[in-house]
Amino acid sequence: MEDRSHLTTLKGAYDHKMMEVTLRVRRYAGEGARAHTETYTVDVPVTATLLDCLDEIKDKQDGTLAFRKSCRMAVCGSCGMRMDGGAVLACKTAMKPFVDAGHTVTVSPMGNLPVIKDLVVDMAPFWSKIRAIKPYLDTGGAKAPEKEWRVTPVQGHLVSKEALCILCGCCVSECISMESDPDFLGPAALAKAYRFVGDVRDGDTRARLKDLSGAHGIWDCTRCYFCNQRCPKGVDPRDAIAKLGAEAFREGLTRDEGARHAKVFVNSAHKGGFLRETELVPKTIGPVAAITQIPFALQLARAGKVPNPLAPHKAKDNAEVKRLWKLLESQAPKQKERANSGAPIDGTES
Amino acid sequence: MRAAIEAKRAGVDVAVVSKLHPTRSHSGAAEGGINAALGNATDDSPEIHTFDTVKGSDYLGDQDAIEIMCREAPGDIYELEHMGAIFSRFADGRLAQRPFGAAGAPRTIYSADITGHVLIHVLYEQLVKHDIKVYEEFFCTNLVIDDGRCAGVLAWDVVRGGVHAIEANHVILATGGVGRMYYGTTNAFACTGDGMSLAWRAGVPLKDMEFMQFHPTTLKSNGVLITEGCRGEGGYLRNSKGERFMAIDAPNAMELASRDVVSRAEWKEIAEGRGVDGCVLLDLTHLGHKKIETRLPGSRELALDYAGVDPIRDPIPVRPGAHYHMGGVDVDVWGESIVPGLWAAGEVACVSVHGANRLGGNSLMETITFGRRAGQAAAERVLAEGDTGARIERSVLEDERNRINTLLNATGGERPGAIREQLAKTMYDKAGVFRTQSVLEECVEEVHALRERGRSLRIEDRSSLFNSDLVQALELESMLECADCLVTGAVARQESRGAHARIDFTERDDANWMKHSLAWNDRGEVRLDYKPVTVTKYQPLVRSY
Repeated sequence: MEDRSHLTTLKGAYDHKMMEVTLRVRRYAGEGARAHTETYTVDVPVTATLLDCLDEIKDKQDGTLAFRKSCRMAVCGSCGMRMDGGAVLACKTAMKPFVDAGHTVTVSPMGNLPVIKDLVVDMAPFWSKIRAIKPYLDTGGAKAPEKEWRVTPVQGHLVSKEALCILCGCCVSECISMESDPDFLGPAALAKAYRFVGDVRDGDTRARLKDLSGAHGIWDCTRCYFCNQRCPKGVDPRDAIAKLGAEAFREGLTRDEGARHAKVFVNSAHKGGFLRETELVPKTIGPVAAITQIPFALQLARAGKVPNPLAPHKAKDNAEVKRLWKLLESQAPKQKERANSGAPIDGTES
Repeated sequence: MRAAIEAKRAGVDVAVVSKLHPTRSHSGAAEGGINAALGNATDDSPEIHTFDTVKGSDYLGDQDAIEIMCREAPGDIYELEHMGAIFSRFADGRLAQRPFGAAGAPRTIYSADITGHVLIHVLYEQLVKHDIKVYEEFFCTNLVIDDGRCAGVLAWDVVRGGVHAIEANHVILATGGVGRMYYGTTNAFACTGDGMSLAWRAGVPLKDMEFMQFHPTTLKSNGVLITEGCRGEGGYLRNSKGERFMAIDAPNAMELASRDVVSRAEWKEIAEGRGVDGCVLLDLTHLGHKKIETRLPGSRELALDYAGVDPIRDPIPVRPGAHYHMGGVDVDVWGESIVPGLWAAGEVACVSVHGANRLGGNSLMETITFGRRAGQAAAERVLAEGDTGARIERSVLEDERNRINTLLNATGGERPGAIREQLAKTMYDKAGVFRTQSVLEECVEEVHALRERGRSLRIEDRSSLFNSDLVQALELESMLECADCLVTGAVARQESRGAHARIDFTERDDANWMKHSLAWNDRGEVRLDYKPVTVTKYQPLVRSY
């Protein structure tokens, strides 16, 4: 018989080129303890990620180090943490570039969430916001077809980015609105909300948008774009928030101060080609409330930060602005074709 | 989650206990898709799906169970779609279906290459909708069997510490597989066979444990899986000479032969020196930028992140890695075990629909269909029987607290990580794609020695706050028990069938071995026993692709 014994074990299966990585890790043993930084050096394969390094520390050097992990392939969302001050998924962050650059990274827990221990944060506030946006499909009483709802690839594409979200919290960690208002729904929950608002099968669009347009909702985003920058999956939560704003406008939900603020910007630019800043406050918060802001306005005026309210504030030629306006307007309705296509087509008719 | 949703809908008080937040479970990593004979792409039927699955199982799957899954799969898919699952579509809006290995028709429904992700999120959404209580980050340390029936679970609160008793008339295990006992596995860190080991300790046999599927296309750096969808979309496998070596073992199906067949062909290429740095090459370059970007964006991202290769320009080095455990808790077609009140569904269970080898796209379908069935059947039982009086005695809880405290305060001994690494290498080297008597016997001895070493561990974290050091020690215990069951079964099975390929017994032996193995717990040792395979219509044939 042919000798096939060489087949049982692969030679060289564990051969990896190695490198040495040094990390500074923020440690915190829980309530009452003092946070401090510890430095570790590990020997790992050149392909190692930040998570591989932490794992090596835990196995071989310091079993007390706490961090979450599971899939190690950027899909479960467990290992969000900060590296050099910005949120990353540890399992998606290759260490070789930092080693090559001779840079020692500092690892700390995510921001905007209470720290439990070391790199582990309390995700409870995060999940409560996800639950708050009614995170499930509601067809609005439409009876489900016998087979599938018909959704064309183009319609499905509307939520394809939001569908990528793994709820890791990296966006929330970096959200500056949430820093000043912990009740702000935040980028993850709002992206999840658009995943339903943009779903042609969902029949609860108006009610959803109404809820989302209120306090701590879509208009409280300061558009800093850190969420887009830090999302490890390309969800672009800020874009989702912008889409929610546009949908809310189309539904005529413009009563929120934030919405009115946006509207003044747009109308003013449309009319005169410029933003009329003196109109901004009264039109956003109303003339009566604006009176209370007069002392603030005078302070600004004294500092030379208020343009002459009586001077004409108009661009010489704003035809270009109007052309752009028209172009954008013609494109907007294509965002969601619910109105034209009606409710989803029953999958039984083929 | 699927079982919990079904039970809750039936009006039963239900809770989910999970060592992770529910969306962190490893089903979310499934990429390629889920199989149901919808016939949206070409003509297809549950009967053809059944035959493909029976043949794929190398005739070890129970044909009644396979018939049930293939018949009920389409309805379950439509239901997932109605729940809100975001699937890829054909131009006319129907669910798209693509070809997968060893399937007679394009049968795999998918969501680009993030199908598992989409499904786990839609199930979590339904969990929220149905207001189902979740004990997040609670690690089950033991089942409580009282007077011969399951009375609930004991669980360690990972975040805050402490052992808690959670009483239940019925417990459904849905804890997934045990890939982490192998080096270079595709599985998450969490896949440590906890549920199998819980059931085994509680006196339920584990079935067909020797069958561990090796996925043909995993990355060398960390075992991450590159979906079979890559080959479904037309990718080639090449050796160092550029040859499409599948022409030798599967001239018809080529790269889309069954996973066990492809893994063996690759392993042989690498072992015989026709590999590239211990891998073969998965070549997608001819598919073009657009197809890779639209159909396989996740795979491209994984190759870029973990292999530093852009598949649009260069082939991806891949090798076989432990991926899916066909074996598991012995249950019937409703998911019920021999212990009343104890059920199992998904990879932790062995019904068996996958037999000796699972087809790509059948595992997500199994979790959904048999998860639903287990939830439904357990709920019916609750409604019919009422409270069975399941109670966990104070003394039982105290005993478990003492056990965990002893482990927590153990001094001396070895770090769990050291034993885990040794186990993973032993399994990969000695119970891998090709197996033989003498090497398997060494493996059994080594696993026994590791189990012995595993009895004295050194936990460095003694706190009760998010103590993952303790959790990893508990997980190691599960893996060691599962490994023992696996190798004991493997050394006994003197034939080659599906994923169990013996180089000393190269043929399938239906006369002696067309039977399920059962690994029982005999005072901590593994005792083997066998039971027949259920055959309905399909008599065993030679399996070629």
